[in-house]
Amino acid sequence: MTDVTDVTETETGTDSGGAARSGRDLSSAKDMIVCEGVSKWYGDFQALEGVSATIKEQEVVVVLGPSGSGKSTWIRCINRLEEHQEGLIVVDGVELSNDLRNIEKVRSEVGMVFQQFNLFPHLKVRDNVSLAPIWVRKKSKAEAEEQAQALLELVGIPEQADKFPGQLSGGQQQRVAIARALAMEPKIMLFDEPTSALDPEMIKEVLDVMKNLALSGMTMMVVTHEMGFAKEVADRIIFMEEGQIVEVGTPEHFFTNPTEDRTKLFLSQILA
Amino acid sequence: MTAPTNQASSTHEAVSQRVPLWRDAVVVKWTAQVATLVLVLASLWFLATQAGDNLTARNINIGFDFLERPPDIQLSEGIDTHPATGGRALWVGMVNTLRMAIVGIVFATLLGVVVGLARLSNNWLIRRLATIWVETLRNIPLLVQIIFYFSVLAVLPRVDMDTGPINGWLHISNKGLAMPRVFIADGFYQWATVMLVGGLAAHYVRRRRVDLHNESGANTSPVLWSLGTLAVFGMVGLFIHPLFGFIEPIMGAVASLLDSLPILLPQVLLSATAVLLAGRWIREFLAGRRSAVGHLALSDDDYFRIIFTAIAALMAVTVAIYWTGLSSWILNSGSDLFRVIETKFNVDGAARPFDAMRPDIVKPGKFANYGINGLTMTVGFAAVFFGVVFYTSAFIGEIVRGGILAVPKGQTEAASAVGLHRSQSLRHIILPQAIRVILPPLGNQYLNLTKNTSLAIAVGYSDIVQVGQTVYNQTGKTLPVVAIWMLFYLATSLTISVVVNYYNVRMKLVER
Amino acid sequence: MSEFAGAGAEIGSFYPMPRPDASPPVEEHLPPREWLKKNLFSNVFNSALTVAAGLLIIVMLRGLLGFIFNPLRQWNATAVNLRLLMTHAYPADQYLRVWFSVAAFLILTGLSIAVWRAGSRVPVPDVGKRVTALGVFVTLSALLAPFSGSARLSWLAVAVFLLASGLSVSRTSKDRSVSSLSLLVGVCGLAALSLWVIPYGHHSFVSDRTPKILAEPGTVDLTTKLPWTIMLLIAVAAYGVGLLLRDRIPAKVARTSLVLAWILTPILLLFLVLRDPDFDMGHVLSTDIPIFLVFAVLGSALLFWLTNPETGEVGRIVAVTVLFLAFGSFLMPMRMVIRIFMLLLAIFSLAGPTFSGDRRTRHNYVAIWTGTAVFVSWLITAINTPSTAPVPGQFFLGGFSMTLMVAFFTLLVSFPLGVMLALARTSNMPIFRLLATWFIEFVRGVPLITILIFFSVMVPLFLPDGMDLSEVAAVTIGYALFASAYLAENVRGGIQSVTRGQHEAAEAVGMTTSQKTVFIVLPQALRVAIPPLVGQVIGTFKETSLLIIIGLFDLLFVAKAIIPNQTAFMGSTRENLMVISLIYWVISYSMSKASMRIEKRVGLGEQ
Ligand SMILES: Nc1ncnc2c1ncn2[C@@H]1O[C@H](COP(=O)(O)OP(=O)(O)O)[C@@H](O)[C@H]1O
Ligand SMILES: [Mg+2]
Repeated sequence: MTDVTDVTETETGTDSGGAARSGRDLSSAKDMIVCEGVSKWYGDFQALEGVSATIKEQEVVVVLGPSGSGKSTWIRCINRLEEHQEGLIVVDGVELSNDLRNIEKVRSEVGMVFQQFNLFPHLKVRDNVSLAPIWVRKKSKAEAEEQAQALLELVGIPEQADKFPGQLSGGQQQRVAIARALAMEPKIMLFDEPTSALDPEMIKEVLDVMKNLALSGMTMMVVTHEMGFAKEVADRIIFMEEGQIVEVGTPEHFFTNPTEDRTKLFLSQILA
Repeated sequence: MTAPTNQASSTHEAVSQRVPLWRDAVVVKWTAQVATLVLVLASLWFLATQAGDNLTARNINIGFDFLERPPDIQLSEGIDTHPATGGRALWVGMVNTLRMAIVGIVFATLLGVVVGLARLSNNWLIRRLATIWVETLRNIPLLVQIIFYFSVLAVLPRVDMDTGPINGWLHISNKGLAMPRVFIADGFYQWATVMLVGGLAAHYVRRRRVDLHNESGANTSPVLWSLGTLAVFGMVGLFIHPLFGFIEPIMGAVASLLDSLPILLPQVLLSATAVLLAGRWIREFLAGRRSAVGHLALSDDDYFRIIFTAIAALMAVTVAIYWTGLSSWILNSGSDLFRVIETKFNVDGAARPFDAMRPDIVKPGKFANYGINGLTMTVGFAAVFFGVVFYTSAFIGEIVRGGILAVPKGQTEAASAVGLHRSQSLRHIILPQAIRVILPPLGNQYLNLTKNTSLAIAVGYSDIVQVGQTVYNQTGKTLPVVAIWMLFYLATSLTISVVVNYYNVRMKLVER
Repeated sequence: MSEFAGAGAEIGSFYPMPRPDASPPVEEHLPPREWLKKNLFSNVFNSALTVAAGLLIIVMLRGLLGFIFNPLRQWNATAVNLRLLMTHAYPADQYLRVWFSVAAFLILTGLSIAVWRAGSRVPVPDVGKRVTALGVFVTLSALLAPFSGSARLSWLAVAVFLLASGLSVSRTSKDRSVSSLSLLVGVCGLAALSLWVIPYGHHSFVSDRTPKILAEPGTVDLTTKLPWTIMLLIAVAAYGVGLLLRDRIPAKVARTSLVLAWILTPILLLFLVLRDPDFDMGHVLSTDIPIFLVFAVLGSALLFWLTNPETGEVGRIVAVTVLFLAFGSFLMPMRMVIRIFMLLLAIFSLAGPTFSGDRRTRHNYVAIWTGTAVFVSWLITAINTPSTAPVPGQFFLGGFSMTLMVAFFTLLVSFPLGVMLALARTSNMPIFRLLATWFIEFVRGVPLITILIFFSVMVPLFLPDGMDLSEVAAVTIGYALFASAYLAENVRGGIQSVTRGQHEAAEAVGMTTSQKTVFIVLPQALRVAIPPLVGQVIGTFKETSLLIIIGLFDLLFVAKAIIPNQTAFMGSTRENLMVISLIYWVISYSMSKASMRIEKRVGLGEQ
């Protein structure tokens, strides 16, 4: 009976992963997300084919892959926005199953940021951030609003609290979305292409917020096409194609000498 | 490496735990649903038994026998003003409702299109008039309008031997409006068969002309050609229709065959259909969940669904087998249908398909009245007709206007750029595009109009509701009559929505 | 049957009704000659159209005026019977109650206008244009109406005055504007003033001809003009008070309490003021209050416990138990009040975990429960107590007030029902979806009148022994069920317009399905559904006229069947119908105009 982490890493032939690069040793850290043979079908179409991976506490994992390779499907399975049909997903020791309590628990411990922001347009920015803490975390209103203000400060837009989302720029909206997810005090943050819907000049402001978050020790799983971010921040990079994990490795390994042909092809296309 | 291993095994411990039932999402979901279903069925059952008890306590029976008994009713108008049975009376009411609905739909559409175009006219006066029309009519209750028209018509002069403008041809009085009418005579059904053949021929001709157009590119006017074919068949059919007398014995034979069939047949057929349908649904359902490599991923919800379908099929089979009334009814009505057709074709060769008559006025005693010969629009009919047509035209006008405004302005500009007139661009460019926006809400208006004809009861026009009320006032059979009303209106609404949907789908296909 | 559901769904799905003012024809400023040329005589066809339409208008107007000013018309039929039209048989010596109710509504209206900052500024020249148009209309009418020479002259004088003042006002600077509210007050004031000077319903002032039936020679009755003048003053005063309060109370508090007042006031007025229940204090003290206290105290304790976030699943199990007890209570003999309280408590308990929170939230929740319990127990007691207002006939209201009452209660009941149906129909639980779809499609497939007849005739048969329901209540329930199906379709359109991303975002922050529905989906869905919902409200109001068919004394019944049967006003049906048409029209039209304005404001708020 071997460690799940070991399995994936020996498969791809790397050793200590990204921890060495950022000077952190995560090998003894707790398992935050464990996926084992996760499969998912949409009707006839198999979107995930036996995905297995383990993500440690405080680890930052970037998921790369061509469009339609199942990246979104996978991370959406992790907070059960999608139901997987085979395999096992365990988040912070809680298995995702039909157990109502577990679903609620996982969802309030996993924050998610979407490509399209998905802010609540009928609520002011402050209420967007404080709504869930009040009704899900059962905080008092005053406490939640105070926290919202602090988070908005953290993401750099404290002055926008009384506006409606429609009045903000895309970058500001995405930062509000990050603040909204953080307000639930999650242990894990999932990002699904957080900068893909943004104009180039706004991408940096969002990436900066994410970098700071990573430095503060948040466990993060990021789907992105921002290679700079992947190189700089990721502990590990997972490359997916056609619903399968093709290669796992440190950014160094990944960008300099990938083992798989498909990875090379992808990199040559995206860096060209 | 010991710590991770421990964690991994604790992970697997968490996994092996059973989920308690009250926390299992699927169990909770389906328990809530089944409980609601049971609750709804239980309350319905409770109400039904309550009503049953109350009815027996009051000595009212709720059978449908009144449908076959002679009623003591006279209807003001319709295909049969002295119906022989209660069922016949209701049938007359249904025909009257449908008559009103169809005529109303046609005229409301015409008027509504005019109103909608007038709302967009570049003539200020016309635009204003149309706005006043719309805003007045749609903000006053339809029933008030109908009663108002009725009270206006009721003060017209009384019938008199020479009422009205074109003496003998048109009469206007407080009994309504009478004019000559063309009616179908004995030879009509044979002639209709000729027309059926003509329709097929017209369809073929159209196809040919379209093909010709596609080959040569010349304008072959397929619509005109097919209409011409139909007209030729109609004309020739007036003379040759007795040829189709041979249908009569065939229908008779089919009817006799149906009479001789055992009651088991429809039972078997119905059960087989139910089982087949359920089986097909389940098969398609499973196929939809199966992956390309044959992997079947069924969630617990899916099992529930399949079980429900199977139970439903089982119930249908039980009904088909144990309720023999259903089978005998199917057999009987089937053979009756063919018998009816048979008699329709039982005509001597000289019968004409059509006949015409002038309105007549009868004066048996003190009061003059219209006879049965002409086409009479009674005051009740007129009030309901004007009511629903005007009222619906206001709504249709707004729908048409909205549809036209929904066509991008660039389309109009492009049309005038290629040199089309305003009327041409309206016909060839704007209306075809607007129609896609217009059609769905228009279908809704047709449904509303049909249901609104039920207000006829307020002015005594013999529609299904008015006749039904008379019937239950006489016989006390409220519940059966209400059931018949609802079935009738549901069937009518369903038909209209199916027709409109058909056109909807076709329009969308054309778009691609 | 699924075929059927699908077909209906396709047609019934959400299509935004074309907005009448989607693109108002732009009226540029042109000199009159050019304006005429452009808009009426741009080409031959257009000129012909103009002439034809002009002739048509003249003929129609002449016919209408000829009808109206025919000395045979009995316009005083409605004037004399105004009380009958408004309240049917409500006792005359108790009429102060009616006026009190009207005043209460006007006060609410005045306050709401102030708090919501309704009204806008209208440029003065536009007012001038309106007055000029009125002047043109009066001129045309004076020329076409069958007046005697002197009457025509005096009407023309009025027209000339209107034209002159209109034209002079429309020449003023475009920058000056007046508030539309002060215009409204001005017009209402003029109307109130005219009650004192113009002898409405009396013919001598328009024509020298002798009318068939002479109305009283004086002006309008004191019992009409005095109260209405006072009412106008009250409304204006309420607006003033609203202006003062507006800046002293937080907007949110003021608005919430006004909305609550709008919902509660009609019920209080109906069952406290108009019906005047003769409370049997012995019974109230010995039965009603104890029952209320038990539920208020025990229920509060239960709910306080249930809304504690630490309670967990045990709470849900307890809530479901309460629900079962509530259903069970219907199988056992006991007071209806207790059953209703049990059901209410079950609903509050089930919703408890969704709205649990800190102490303050829990206190609020318990307070809402107590408030609801107070209101419900008062309402039930008031309805079950005999009335001291002795009214002949079956119901204490009739005429316009019955129309309003049935419309109000229908909407009140159908709104939550419709929202629930819409949620069920869009839910991903097949049985809920199926039940809702069948109900909605069934109801939408049959005409309202069959449902009303069914409920008025059949409901007594469905009730268990010893329970009875007045016909008005039975019919209102039927009407509410009917309206809820249509409402559900409108709300469904709104729900479907909420994007999938919104659902996912709400789920991702850990909201439960009910929290997602209450805080995210419904607020957005209802906003989108405002225009069709207002259409629905107008339709519901208009279709109360169908009550006449089942023999209830609504406005139409009085106008069509009661007044024309009075010996003095035989055959006045057409006049009465025209007057009530005007009533229906004014209300429906102003509602649709108001909705357009709200829509625009909501649309602006989003950006
Ligand atoms: N709701 C759905 N129904 C059917 N197919 C889906 C659905 N969502 C995603 N897919 C399919 O699953 C595959 C993976 O999608 P996704 O996870 O969004 O890819 P990525 O995020 O890597 O671009 C795609 O081929 C997509 O077409
Ligand atoms: Mg994606």
